[in-house]
Amino acid sequence: MSARTEPARGRALLLIAPALVLIGAFLVLPYLNIVVMSLREPAPNMPYGSGFSGAGYAKFFADFYYVGALLQTLWIGLLSTLVCLVLGFPLALQIVRASSRWRSLLYGVVLSPLLVGIVVRSYGWTILLGNNGFINRTLLDVGLIDAPLPLMYNTFGIVVALSHVFLPFMVLPIMGALQTIDPALENAARSLGASPRQVFRRIVLPLALPGIQSGAILVFVLAVSAYVTPVLIGGMRVKTMAVIVVETLIDQFQWPLGSALALILSAAVCLVVVLFMRLTRIRWK
Amino acid sequence: MTTVSLQSLVKRYGGATAVDGISLDIAHGEFISLLGPSGCGKTTTLKCLAGFEAIDRGRILFDGRDVAPLPPEQRDIGMVFQNYALFPHMTVAGNLAFGLEMRGRPKSEIATRVAAVLDLVQLGGMGTRYPRELSGGQQQRVALARALVIEPKILLLDEPLANLDATLRDEMRTFIRDLQRRVGISTLYVTHDQAEAMTMSDRVVVMFGGQIAQAAAPETVYDRPASEAVARFVGQANIIAGVVSAGSFAIDSPLGRLPMPQQAQFAAGTRVSVIARPQAIALTAATSGHTLLGTVVARYFHGAFIDHRIAVGDQMLHVQAAPPALHEVGDQVALVLDPAKLWAVATP
Repeated sequence: MSARTEPARGRALLLIAPALVLIGAFLVLPYLNIVVMSLREPAPNMPYGSGFSGAGYAKFFADFYYVGALLQTLWIGLLSTLVCLVLGFPLALQIVRASSRWRSLLYGVVLSPLLVGIVVRSYGWTILLGNNGFINRTLLDVGLIDAPLPLMYNTFGIVVALSHVFLPFMVLPIMGALQTIDPALENAARSLGASPRQVFRRIVLPLALPGIQSGAILVFVLAVSAYVTPVLIGGMRVKTMAVIVVETLIDQFQWPLGSALALILSAAVCLVVVLFMRLTRIRWK
Repeated sequence: MTTVSLQSLVKRYGGATAVDGISLDIAHGEFISLLGPSGCGKTTTLKCLAGFEAIDRGRILFDGRDVAPLPPEQRDIGMVFQNYALFPHMTVAGNLAFGLEMRGRPKSEIATRVAAVLDLVQLGGMGTRYPRELSGGQQQRVALARALVIEPKILLLDEPLANLDATLRDEMRTFIRDLQRRVGISTLYVTHDQAEAMTMSDRVVVMFGGQIAQAAAPETVYDRPASEAVARFVGQANIIAGVVSAGSFAIDSPLGRLPMPQQAQFAAGTRVSVIARPQAIALTAATSGHTLLGTVVARYFHGAFIDHRIAVGDQMLHVQAAPPALHEVGDQVALVLDPAKLWAVATP
């Protein structure tokens, strides 16, 4: 046995070596570079100075502009996650229970947002939500409103667009979890005296929790780090952390501060995810 | 004290009739098996009784009250599923408490009853485990306990032993039967395994094509099957076509003259199928006095008995004899049929 596993292990190492080199060179090293950069000294007329300092981090905590942006970014992520969950769970349940012909159709519909580029999708929403957009135009023409509703350039618009874009990332994991539920469990619960509503609350929902967990984490992480959609829908008025990081790095040319902001965003997201997993810990797996 | 009565039950799926007018009374404390090949409607009957399927016609009476319009949660049934259907996200105690919680029983009562039923199925102290931490047999007993703890009117079991290995299956058969006797609950047991049905039941209900072919005590079903199909499905059977001779004292078959089964009565000239269990035929050395002669084609040693294949005319008969083996492959033998162990049914 061992005579066969030893060379096998060597071969396995050889097989994953290219991937390890790739990840090391293009992911780990750049990240380390960001950490180092965030601790560099800021300098006028240059991306960064020669010394080291914690000025970037200090600036974040000193200026409510940044703290507020972080809180708003997390808030947008949370709202998008909730919207995706509320829309996605019934959808996933429906798809799983549909007959096989309908299932493939609904599956295609759910995946369809992924077939169109994110820029195009977000632009689509500006056409719908803008002050001169389809919704406001129609309502104005019908006479239901006198002035355009504020549908864009605010949190609402960003959450609507992000939820649309990321809905598949909520639906697919929930579908996966729901598919593993043995249909006999529901019958068993009914036979023990549970109404359909109690079956849902006591059996289906808890068993779908692993899927809800993965879906929520995916959507939250994608939503807080989204750049294109907040830029197009939020415009100049709502700035999420990702938007500010790009501005700081590209427009203001402050590499240490930009790096610090990026790392603070990552840390905050990690913290929220860990807290969320703690709260929804699954003991029975 | 619950008696259950199914009256002219009909269940259709689209054009296909799964259950075709079944009537069955289950006395209090009776253990009844629904036995039949897959697709015979036995599981559908159980689902109708449980309320998982709506019936198209007929009535389902629990103590005279028609429960057919009620959803499953209002029928007061205990059901054990083929794959146990234990709730994986609840502990054993959580699984057992579920039915009582749905009935709004107080916490203290639930705790006592759960502990009592755990002892009943010999799983005391296992309450805090999760189902995946249990063996197949233990999961099976939890499923039984979960169905019994709510003290249902009737216990329904859907092929509960199908997923267990042979040794455990034998053990669980006795376990379930003993438990059922002690609790004294009316039980309907669905199985395709005739040995299971025979050993466990007070009454076996053999089903074919959505209809009841025979409902009787296991001995009756085996010794005096209602039809050729029942005889073939329940145990092994040699079936020999023949015509009742003049005077009705024998049956003439292409193989030779067969004795008239003791329990049967037919008019002369009736076309019948004689049913001879492998144990109903004895083998002796062929002599001139015998009417039924054959050749040993194959011989299989089973330990407790020896299975012979005997070619008689153009038919192959199964004969079981106690060891030691007396006849070699290729031997000419005489077959002696015991009229007390024979049975015959009129050929339709």
